[in-house]
Amino acid sequence: MPMGEGAVPQTQPLVLAVPKGRILEELVPLLSAVGIKPEDAFSDESSRQLRFRTNLPEIEVVRVRSFDVATFVAFGAAHLGVAGNDVLMEFDYPEIYAPVDLDIGHCRLSVAEPQSLKKSDDPARWSHIRVATKYPSVTRQHFAARGVQAECIKLNGAMELAPALGLCRRIVDLVSTGSTLAANNLVEVETIADVTSKLIVNRAALKTRPKALSGWIDRFREAVDAI
Amino acid sequence: MYSGEANGARQALLPAGLQDVLYPDAANEAAIVEKLIRHVSRHGYERVKPPLIEFEDSLLAGPGGQVSDQTFRLMDPISQRMMGLRADMTPQVARVAISRLAQEPRPLRLCYAGEVLRVRGSQLRPERQFTQVGVELIGSSASRADAEAVFLAADALLALGVEELSVDLSLPTLVGRVFEALELPDSMQQDLRAALDRKDSAAVQQSAGTHAALFDGLLRASGLAEEALERIEKLPLPAAVRGEVERLVQVIGEVRAMNPGLVMTVDCVDHRGFEYQTGLSFTLFASGVRGELGRGGRYDAPRGEVEGEPAIGFTLFMDSVLRALPGPSQGRRLFLPVDADGAAATAYRAAGWVTVAALDDRIDPRSEALRLNCTHILVGNKIEELED
Repeated sequence: MPMGEGAVPQTQPLVLAVPKGRILEELVPLLSAVGIKPEDAFSDESSRQLRFRTNLPEIEVVRVRSFDVATFVAFGAAHLGVAGNDVLMEFDYPEIYAPVDLDIGHCRLSVAEPQSLKKSDDPARWSHIRVATKYPSVTRQHFAARGVQAECIKLNGAMELAPALGLCRRIVDLVSTGSTLAANNLVEVETIADVTSKLIVNRAALKTRPKALSGWIDRFREAVDAI
Repeated sequence: MYSGEANGARQALLPAGLQDVLYPDAANEAAIVEKLIRHVSRHGYERVKPPLIEFEDSLLAGPGGQVSDQTFRLMDPISQRMMGLRADMTPQVARVAISRLAQEPRPLRLCYAGEVLRVRGSQLRPERQFTQVGVELIGSSASRADAEAVFLAADALLALGVEELSVDLSLPTLVGRVFEALELPDSMQQDLRAALDRKDSAAVQQSAGTHAALFDGLLRASGLAEEALERIEKLPLPAAVRGEVERLVQVIGEVRAMNPGLVMTVDCVDHRGFEYQTGLSFTLFASGVRGELGRGGRYDAPRGEVEGEPAIGFTLFMDSVLRALPGPSQGRRLFLPVDADGAAATAYRAAGWVTVAALDDRIDPRSEALRLNCTHILVGNKIEELED
């Protein structure tokens, strides 16, 4: 019983933002473990629907791009969300809390370069490098920390193509099995961060609806611990 | 006249974060600022008005130093000294209190309203210019002073009609003092701080080592005030911070006595945005409004080389406060034809009507009244309602 007995129903339903794509499969069992069952269209990737009702009148789910989950939650348009720490590092919104590691969506944010370059390259001599990435802010910070200026070319997908077509020699991207890199003759040379998905919460929502929000945080925490 | 012309459109473009506030919003904001000032004045707070620009070194002395990177600067051609445009009014009011009003009896209660300008907007408040309304209570370190500030901030907003208000109380110096008391190494402090800022309990436990229970306990000692206090009191806190926690308990009790229904929450690990605060601080939120309506807390009003005076205050951010209130409604407007009865019009204005006088007697008064957004028309000395 998610709200607990005697809980005062809130006027506005809580909105949970979840990312489209590969994490969804791992997320659905977790949602059902905390008692949230979205309507059928939610699991249908081809559905054009963006907002979904759930079995609970007080919870609504929206399905957006992973970077947009953080934006929706930061601005309070969604109260709760599921986002990887890659996204949280890239934006570093102070309005987002990430109280629970959901232990799903495991991968890493890594630097990769062509096999041939790795043999001849000496990172100690770098002062400036050019990198294709979806994560310009994390990339710049990562290299700045060791005195290297990273010029980032922002791409939204297919980063692996960039070195092959001569856009730049290095990329920073998410790696899970490494098979996409290998298929494009790239090797992982450095891990910037290990990534998992977190339950994220909007700061103002947690302060103004502390009972409901901390209830959900506890429930997600218990569900993760139970798995 | 300019709308649509390329020329006019170019002139209309304002720098990022700045805007023309039009009617009825401009009048609405002014009226709400006045209501807030009247409310705090009734609690004995006297209004002061520091200038928009001051010498940089006095503007940024003491608490003002924290907004240094948000401050626009310009050179004073007369004194040849650098001046700063205020990015926050609290440091100015503190300066007034400890300089020109140094001889006034303490506690000194001051209030203010004015515009501030910031170099950069934030994600949630892209505005670079906005209005602050606030109070400062200077020269008392009593818990009742803290309680008065918390109560008054909430009371002023509730009186405006803000719904689902909640006050989040925090101790921004607590975690730092716990770090000191436990003599934690710097790298560990950084990791812990980052984890606490994200409220990531797994990361807190990971980086806190043998103190995992304490820091995770602090993290979880948040939420509705009375429940959080119960949890805090069970924590094995170092003796050095006991006083701060006792003060929090005391203040919550005192505010509760003044407003039993007020929603108060506690957050023991929040510290961002409280850089010049030295003790109990608070943030005001309203359900469904992004960002904060205001914030306040304890600080030291600096007295040059001598020890500062204890002070507490709060600042409300009018852009957020306005978002928490229903928008302005366009009131009734009475059209006065050219031949209208002047004495009657004066009497209606005295009774609160807004009148709009005709300037041209060749136009049909009723259609002219509608064109100028009037709701009523004066016929003889009687008011008639207009129909579209």
